[in-house]
Amino acid sequence: MDTEIKSDKKKLNKKYWQFFWRSWAIQGSWNYERQMNLGFLYGIAPTLDRIYKDPKDIDKKKEAYKRHLSFYNCTPQTSAFVLGLSSSMEEQYAKDPDNFDPESISAVKSSLMGPLSGIGDSFFQGTIKVLAFGLGINFARQGNILGPVLALLISFIPAYLVTWYGAKWGYTAGNQFLSKLNSEGAMDRVMYIAGIVGLIVIGSMVASMITLTTPIHMGGTFKLQSTLDDILPKLIPVIMTMFMYWLIEKKVKTGWILAICIVGGILASVLGILKA
Amino acid sequence: MFWQALILGIIGIIVILDSRFFGRLNVEQPLIASTLVGLALGDVTKGLMVGATLELISLGLVNVGAAAPPDMAMGSIIASAFSILSGASPETALTIAIPIAVLGQLLGIVIRMGMSSFNVMAEKFIDEGKFKKATNLHIIWGMVLYALGYFIPIFVAIYFGTNLVKQVVNVIPTWLTNGLTVASAVLPAYGFALLLSTMMTKKMAPFFFIGFLITAYGGISVTGIAFFAVLAAIILDQINNNGKEQKQDDDSLDSL
Repeated sequence: MDTEIKSDKKKLNKKYWQFFWRSWAIQGSWNYERQMNLGFLYGIAPTLDRIYKDPKDIDKKKEAYKRHLSFYNCTPQTSAFVLGLSSSMEEQYAKDPDNFDPESISAVKSSLMGPLSGIGDSFFQGTIKVLAFGLGINFARQGNILGPVLALLISFIPAYLVTWYGAKWGYTAGNQFLSKLNSEGAMDRVMYIAGIVGLIVIGSMVASMITLTTPIHMGGTFKLQSTLDDILPKLIPVIMTMFMYWLIEKKVKTGWILAICIVGGILASVLGILKA
Repeated sequence: MFWQALILGIIGIIVILDSRFFGRLNVEQPLIASTLVGLALGDVTKGLMVGATLELISLGLVNVGAAAPPDMAMGSIIASAFSILSGASPETALTIAIPIAVLGQLLGIVIRMGMSSFNVMAEKFIDEGKFKKATNLHIIWGMVLYALGYFIPIFVAIYFGTNLVKQVVNVIPTWLTNGLTVASAVLPAYGFALLLSTMMTKKMAPFFFIGFLITAYGGISVTGIAFFAVLAAIILDQINNNGKEQKQDDDSLDSL
């Protein structure tokens, strides 16, 4: 008995690792037509191969493979949850094909990818990235190799945890887990905390990492910058950031904004308005 | 130059494989990519400096969904290599990086368009019962295409471009160097603004200004602020939720 349980556990762990690695690799053939669909197919392929081992099931296998060729797009880390959940649904469907509608698998996939990529992207690409590299840049500018090392560590740990537990919970308790999270508002709370931390750190970075000052002065007595420093130090960096924010909100194209930054920067330097 | 170009091309492959096949763990970020270049070319300090400068812009370029932002990974590898090999300053490296990043973005769009053809092929393979071939499109051919799409441009740029860049860097006049320095200080403002445009709502805006004001007036470092921010967020979350629970209690009392 004991050995059976052990080997079951081993099999389960193997599945989790498959979801884990394959969800990390999900962007490998990102394309404009259906985005990460082939990545998702690659992720769920071992499950389908296991279910439809028998050569006489080949038509069902083809059908299942094609089912997962449809459009898919989600953050790699949170995709492990979707992979786990879809895999367990595929297994249920194979066990009980008469009472289980395979359409529901696709439906669950498409209903999950919106919220999960929203949360995943703003958490990993927003807050975690800002924290990791905010601290990283701080050290790197002092020539300290700890900067990039720290940035990598801070990036890796949450990514590892979210993917691993996503795979595990998605496969074992997917549906219940999700409704529980929603009913307790846990998702909203995580987003709220992440948003606050991200914004405070960005504010601090604007004050410490934009080195713009003005060399404008009249004679030897009046220096505009020291007056500014008395009122609000780092006024120029924050105004510049707000100006850029305004340009983005006005939907000015990235290429134009970059050009404005470079040409404007050179002009302001030549005219003696700004100094770095 | 051949060996250097080769090693840098391999760094390019490492970086893109992280982004595409290893969960996007931020190895593709300029701070990491430039440090790797610095290690490979024996000037870690310069790598760190260029990386930190480029990272400030890149931080805001969020790689989400169908949007293809300028390819700062490729830009930072080539620019930090040029900076180390030609002695250009980190600020100059930044202005080299941006046009390269835009070119890299175009290349990325072409690759992603080309990969759309995988869909037709995959469907055909599945119909023929060649399941392995269908998944190999993703894990093997996707990897090969991306690896080449990074290795070749980086190799070519370093192998053929370094001497040219050296000559150009030597004739840049002082006014332009100063101008580029200012430009490189303006660009992070754009990076931060990009971050704000995805994260800031009217209700959340005060938090940005709190972070700004504490550092502007108090001079506390980003590291310190980060610790305060986490604690403040936890406390606010508790206050929010206590309020809700109490409200629920009140409601239940009312109904009695």
